[in-house]
Amino acid sequence: MTGIAQRRTPWQKFEARARNILPFGLTVVVMLFGLTPTYVPGLAQITPLYTLVAIYFWAIYRPDLLGYGLGFAIGILEDLLTGAPLGVGALTLLLTQWVVFNQQKFFHAKPFVITWFAFGFVAFGAVLLKWLCIGLVTESGFTPFGDLFAAYLITLAVYPIVAWLFSKAQTGLLVEP
Amino acid sequence: MKQPTGQISRLGTFKYLAQRFAFLSLIGLTFALMLIGKADTVIVERARTAVSDAVTPILRVMAEPAATISQFVTNLQELGAIREQNADLRETNTRLLEWQAVAQKLENENRQLRALLGTVNEPEARSVSARVVADSGGAFAQSVLITAGGRDGVAKGQAVVTGEGLAGRVTQAGFRSARVLLITDINSRIPVRVGEAGDRAILAGNNSPRPRLIYLGVKSAIAPGDRIVTSGDAGAFPPGLPVGRVVVADEASAVIEPFVARDRLQYVEVLDFGLTGILAETAGAK
Repeated sequence: MTGIAQRRTPWQKFEARARNILPFGLTVVVMLFGLTPTYVPGLAQITPLYTLVAIYFWAIYRPDLLGYGLGFAIGILEDLLTGAPLGVGALTLLLTQWVVFNQQKFFHAKPFVITWFAFGFVAFGAVLLKWLCIGLVTESGFTPFGDLFAAYLITLAVYPIVAWLFSKAQTGLLVEP
Repeated sequence: MKQPTGQISRLGTFKYLAQRFAFLSLIGLTFALMLIGKADTVIVERARTAVSDAVTPILRVMAEPAATISQFVTNLQELGAIREQNADLRETNTRLLEWQAVAQKLENENRQLRALLGTVNEPEARSVSARVVADSGGAFAQSVLITAGGRDGVAKGQAVVTGEGLAGRVTQAGFRSARVLLITDINSRIPVRVGEAGDRAILAGNNSPRPRLIYLGVKSAIAPGDRIVTSGDAGAFPPGLPVGRVVVADEASAVIEPFVARDRLQYVEVLDFGLTGILAETAGAK
């Protein structure tokens, strides 16, 4: 393996590196997509937590390419952009990664439905944590939980779509030829 | 893992420990950031502004398809009802022309009376139009990013309106972008007047589409349907901007339906009345 790596040309090295930042890049893209206004009545209130889906997906399939450092960076970037209290999103994403990394045996080579089902639990915990943190940090108190529950359900609903796109990207671009 | 035998497992243990250390220090860092953010420091605000300024051009391009589709759907919907709407508009037009005559007469009269009394005129507003390019935070925060910033004269504290009424206020102004805290956000507090009596209250957002009235006087008799306008107290906003309508009014709470819906925000106007606002240390009016 190391022998092959040594024989790489600079271009190949660059290409490999570019491929390796793909999980991070795609996560930033879905985050920006989530920020884009849809102008559909009622939708803004229940915007799915796209970054949570992305972090969870990459934590299962490519933990080597999206570790704690990048998870933290995405969380901070999202907090800065959405106007949420700084650190709350980062904490949520870090703990999501931690849960998945510690259950790698459970997630290993599991069918899609199982990972989706498990996401239901992880996402619920994440939403609850975010709600609690924002409520504690904000002086004005807690957001009504009912609205967040709708956002949680929508997040579960978009999981297959985002996961499908990511798995296409993973098989198409990430696996070395 | 506990008893490393070879070099590889020793390396594995080291990697595991390094990862664990990274995780714990990052968790610590998030808590530190929460505390720093709570103290509302300038650094955090600058970071937010810088990131918004950097990302706004990208978001501007990304928002384009959704805006086009939305425009197309609206056009189709309007096309269906065009005849009916036309008849309605003609009727409204006739009625409004009559009102216009009345308004002009009253305006003249008002100006003359003001001149007689020697009252000071309210400041004229200068306005900047901007596009909404990001609706952020979902249910957790109610704010939007707009495509106007310091270079267009947008500054912190200014009121943001649409044709319907008040949308929010500028909480952070960068060079080419600004963040507007919507009146529905949990951090939004706006001095308002309710109904014809003009009772003073504070409109408090709670991250739901329907904010509430707080600090409403005990004697005030408000009823569903009452209009809410900005009071202009504390120099936060110019007085008289339409805000919303009371939908629920009982002993426990007064719930408001804002005139401006978050989902339909596409273009907004930022008003500059030259007021210093509640955000500045020295409040301007009163």
